[in-house]
Amino acid sequence: MLIGKAQPEDMVLHPIRYPWAYDLYNQAVRNTWFPHEIALKEDLDDWAKMTEDERHAVKFLMAFFNPAELIVNRSIALGMYPYIKAPEAHLYLAKVMWEEANHCVAFEYVLETFPLDRAKVFSTHLETPSMKAKEEYVFKYLRRMTETILDIETVEGKKDFVRNLVATNIVMEGIWFYSGFMVALSFRQRNQLRNFGSMITWVLRDESLHLKFGINLVHTALEENPELLTPEFANEIRDIIIEGVERETAYNKDLFPRGILGLNADYVNQYVQYVTDRRLEELGLPKHYNAKNPAKWMSTATDVFELVNFFEAQNTSYEVDGHASSSTKAKPVEVAKEAE
Amino acid sequence: MEIYIKKRDGTREPFNADRINRSIERACKGLSDPISMVTQIATETRLTLYDGITTEEMDQATINASVQNIKEDIEYDRVATRLLLKTVYRRVVGEFENKEETLEKMHRDGFIRYVTQGVAEGLLDTRMAEKYNLERMADCLDIERDELFEYAGLSSLLNRYAVKDKEQQPRETPQYFFMRIAMGLAYNEQDPNAWAKKFYDKMSRLEYVAGGSTNIHAGTPRPALSNCFLLEIHDDIEHIAKSVADVIKLSKASGGIGASITKLRAAGSPLSSNNTTSSGPTPFAKIIDTAIRAVQRGGKKKGALCFYMENWHYDFPEFLDWKHNAGDDYLRMRTANTAVFLSDEFMRRVANGSDWYMFDPKETPDLNELYGDRFVKRYTEYALMAESGKLRIFKKVPAREQFRQILVSLQTTSHPWLTWKDAVNLRALNNNTGTIHMSNLCTEICLPQDKDHIAVCNLASINLATHVHNKEINWSKLESSVRFALRQLDNLIDINVLPVKEAEAGDKENRAIGLGVMGFTDTLEKLGIAYDSDFAADFADRIFEFISYMAIDESANLAQERGSYSHFAGSGWSRGKVPIDTLARLERDRGIPLTVMKESRHKGLNWDVLRQKVTKGMRNATLMAVAPNANIGLVAGTTPGIDPRFAQVFSRNKISGKYLDINHNLVLDLKNMGLWEKVRDEIIEAQGDIENISDIPEHIKKIYKTSFTTSPFAFIEVAARAQKWVDQALSRNMYLETRDIDETMKIYQTAWEKGVKTTYYLHMKPRHTAEQSTVHVNKAEKMGKKGFAAAFSRKVENHPTAFGGISKLQPSLLVVSNTDEEEVPLPDEAEPAHVPEEVEEVVSPVRMSHTSSPAPFQRVHIADTDHVAPELSVKESSQKKQDVGQRVGESEMREPSPVAEVAVAKRPVITVEEVLAMSATAGPEDPQDQFICDSCQ
Repeated sequence: MLIGKAQPEDMVLHPIRYPWAYDLYNQAVRNTWFPHEIALKEDLDDWAKMTEDERHAVKFLMAFFNPAELIVNRSIALGMYPYIKAPEAHLYLAKVMWEEANHCVAFEYVLETFPLDRAKVFSTHLETPSMKAKEEYVFKYLRRMTETILDIETVEGKKDFVRNLVATNIVMEGIWFYSGFMVALSFRQRNQLRNFGSMITWVLRDESLHLKFGINLVHTALEENPELLTPEFANEIRDIIIEGVERETAYNKDLFPRGILGLNADYVNQYVQYVTDRRLEELGLPKHYNAKNPAKWMSTATDVFELVNFFEAQNTSYEVDGHASSSTKAKPVEVAKEAE
Repeated sequence: MEIYIKKRDGTREPFNADRINRSIERACKGLSDPISMVTQIATETRLTLYDGITTEEMDQATINASVQNIKEDIEYDRVATRLLLKTVYRRVVGEFENKEETLEKMHRDGFIRYVTQGVAEGLLDTRMAEKYNLERMADCLDIERDELFEYAGLSSLLNRYAVKDKEQQPRETPQYFFMRIAMGLAYNEQDPNAWAKKFYDKMSRLEYVAGGSTNIHAGTPRPALSNCFLLEIHDDIEHIAKSVADVIKLSKASGGIGASITKLRAAGSPLSSNNTTSSGPTPFAKIIDTAIRAVQRGGKKKGALCFYMENWHYDFPEFLDWKHNAGDDYLRMRTANTAVFLSDEFMRRVANGSDWYMFDPKETPDLNELYGDRFVKRYTEYALMAESGKLRIFKKVPAREQFRQILVSLQTTSHPWLTWKDAVNLRALNNNTGTIHMSNLCTEICLPQDKDHIAVCNLASINLATHVHNKEINWSKLESSVRFALRQLDNLIDINVLPVKEAEAGDKENRAIGLGVMGFTDTLEKLGIAYDSDFAADFADRIFEFISYMAIDESANLAQERGSYSHFAGSGWSRGKVPIDTLARLERDRGIPLTVMKESRHKGLNWDVLRQKVTKGMRNATLMAVAPNANIGLVAGTTPGIDPRFAQVFSRNKISGKYLDINHNLVLDLKNMGLWEKVRDEIIEAQGDIENISDIPEHIKKIYKTSFTTSPFAFIEVAARAQKWVDQALSRNMYLETRDIDETMKIYQTAWEKGVKTTYYLHMKPRHTAEQSTVHVNKAEKMGKKGFAAAFSRKVENHPTAFGGISKLQPSLLVVSNTDEEEVPLPDEAEPAHVPEEVEEVVSPVRMSHTSSPAPFQRVHIADTDHVAPELSVKESSQKKQDVGQRVGESEMREPSPVAEVAVAKRPVITVEEVLAMSATAGPEDPQDQFICDSCQ
């Protein structure tokens, strides 16, 4: 069982029951990057030329992302880690938490480098109702994991686990973040904030794995706890996701009170709906919006391999692999037989 | 919302869809399906508009809308290019009011205005007006050649190379640009007008393209036209300081720099001035690394430099760490690149498992100057001295272990690049003035330098792809391209003004040029040849032999016309040697044969005649060097240098923008087969690798491989065969999927065995990329998981249901709201807002039978009796009913949520039909879901 109260037997990594979690851990380690690898000088030159509306969008994004990365960490630490038994999942979550911290510091690094009223950016998430509403949404599901006594061995406890997982991982990381990434990368597409764009590419690369983990976790939880497989719980989960989208919709109106070249609130919200349909399908739920992807240019931003002229831009596809050697070849991960 | 456009003069006018449509329509003229293209672009443009958008942004919005459709059909590239051209014409030649017939004339007249005003404003060299008959030059311009561009190329050209006004907008159309370069390189000809026209015709037809610095500075009052500089940092503080200054000045002149630091004494080495010790090369390199960041080359890109070190240097292990992303920032080079200069002795020691010694250059000062057998002799002596305690410091590791470390570093940080000192020096015809200590930033230059000479190279590249007609190379056209390009490059040297006197000396005395080739893979594809076939290797052999022959012949002609370069006497040329002759010397010195095929594959070139001819004089110390052409290849719309296709579709991250690169040759082949529309999404989903797309025939797959599915040995083979004929070197980008170090060692050893002089950047195939956005993605599907869909399963078979096998049509979960037994209390804000009447509204046919139920909060979920998993007991099941009922009741009393003002979406209850339909709908819309992309796991 992946979720439940950890027992003494759960303290050893081997045999690995959930190889996907261990694979994710290894890939995440290879994806390690640091904010200082990104030089922001050219972006500062762009910043000077940007319009007020464009700058507002960037500031607003960072005002959301900076605390959001920490909120995700809280949710992992308090709402996921304690209720998961498998050590391989713990390994990965430990790396995820470092990554979220790293993302937070990366946004911090941008905030420190750009000429901004930092105090104002930092307080935006407390003062903007639409942004507050997003944070409250996550806290709402997290609160049940922390403030009331949760018995993870009960059906209701497991449901709460899944609810929180969906709110944090699917909605926050898998929908809200993706909409933010699209907006951030759109600047790169217009040849602005190239290095910030490289950083976002790295964050997105990490987040893609987080999401993969979350989706694996949901599916495993459902498979191992068939009592969760009811239409009403399915409906409830779907509704949790839709509620998240509604909060995102309101937020995007504050992100783009007017529009900037290539983007406006409706456009972003259509993208949010498109991504949401994808998330619903990934959970085994029907599409809700049937929205088309308005941002076809994202194929250039994320869908294909990127060829970087190394003296022009940061290569974001590099991986660190300190232990590369002939001995790493085909070292099979031990896989426990499905204990059924 | 009504949308107003802000015009250039600040006034506002309502958005006029018709006008935009008409302008898009003009850009779609002559394409296969203009009407649907106009509709598509107009609709997508509309999506991105906002009130107060400016006219320029409006133009950009239509361009962006076209660009994002290129992945659907390359004809959108044409539209985007035309729309972009339109904005340039409007700005440069003036409002042409959509009267196409006057545009050509305005374009012609505008050129004369551009040159005269440009000279007056100090943007252009006065010779641009003095030396030429501008009317005549303007008549040569052919605006129709603008149709040769692809969008990414045009955009890069304008962004990177065009002369700009104060607002950073181009002052040139593409044809003005080519003419500026042509004129800017023909000042000193007897008939400048005639030669400028010849150069212009070649470049504007994209038959060859000048190097980056030339493109930026030709025809301007500051003609720093050279691309590459090679300098060495000597082991004294004065020279280090001077080198920092030189690096800054050369970077400013937009050159890429190779800098050897092998001579710098090791960390801990005593200083003579006092009793302290040296800090070694790293801190000094760091100064230079920081310095190049400060300089913006050509205004936009920061300086670029590659450090070279020989691997016998005591601090070589530290050098290997320079590019790691973690660690003390003061010990890391964030901007500069690194390359290692390896000796044959090292490669032999790797092969036979011997030890490798590292010395302090302070104690072994002559090693850096030696190569071939003389290096071996001295190195062996030093090793003996070390073992007998006669050296102050040394390090020893198994050679194989160091080679492994080099490759591990290469794999994880893409540095250092591997280059081979002995192949470079023993095959050189130009090192009569001294040892070659390094290559350059892009590892294609092999020039000697010394304290008084910074080596300089001037580049241009032949675009092979524009020399293919009807599956045939047009050899006479290729010959004239080589000859004109060579002459143009030789002209450049006398016009060139360099900011450092040692560089001036190096340039003027050696007149080194590097004519390269691009479009190699593009050409192979047009001829139907696979990159990793013997045919491709033979083809490279043939092409490079021909170009080399013509280049040498032309330089010998120029020597007769204009005189030889200063150091001709004593050069290999003066002894009647041509590059192919030097293979024997390298073999002799190594004592083992090179494993490259050594004969000629081109019939009919009489090398003996040429050998005779070169003894009489050569105009240039070197002639050929195959640069990577990452930018000018893009401008010319072809594959860069000798590179393979990175992938059939990929994105290029450039200073001028991020572009989707899609292989037009492949698209056209697939269109001809009627396959394109069927497979285009699959190609993107597979990240440009067509190997596993079942609809594409095998013969196509063989030709269109990606850089990661092509055998790395093919990269080596093509480079080795070309290298036979090339007097300098080739930027040999490497691409590997394997991370097996033993295999990687074998690949690089093979390169050495075949006599390859240098390798360049190593691209590793990413094992994991971000989630794709525009193609169908369903991670659960790939895991084979059903998720919540399992809750709606229709399986009726033998398992007992919670309700004991009640008929399938009968309702199973009627949830009654007034069940008020105790249950786990839940914080109410977690409740999804189910409004009863919504339930009523969306009742599906399956649930119709229950709508008559009187209970106000009756929740009808799924009609199937058997959706409840078999493990679920009746007790649990009824408990659940209560839960849900309770919560639905609660939700009634809830306060509206803070975001309630957002229209609450209708949330119909999920039906079995919807769930069952899921797998069906995924199919037609996204035909690629049977293909499993395994990039991560």
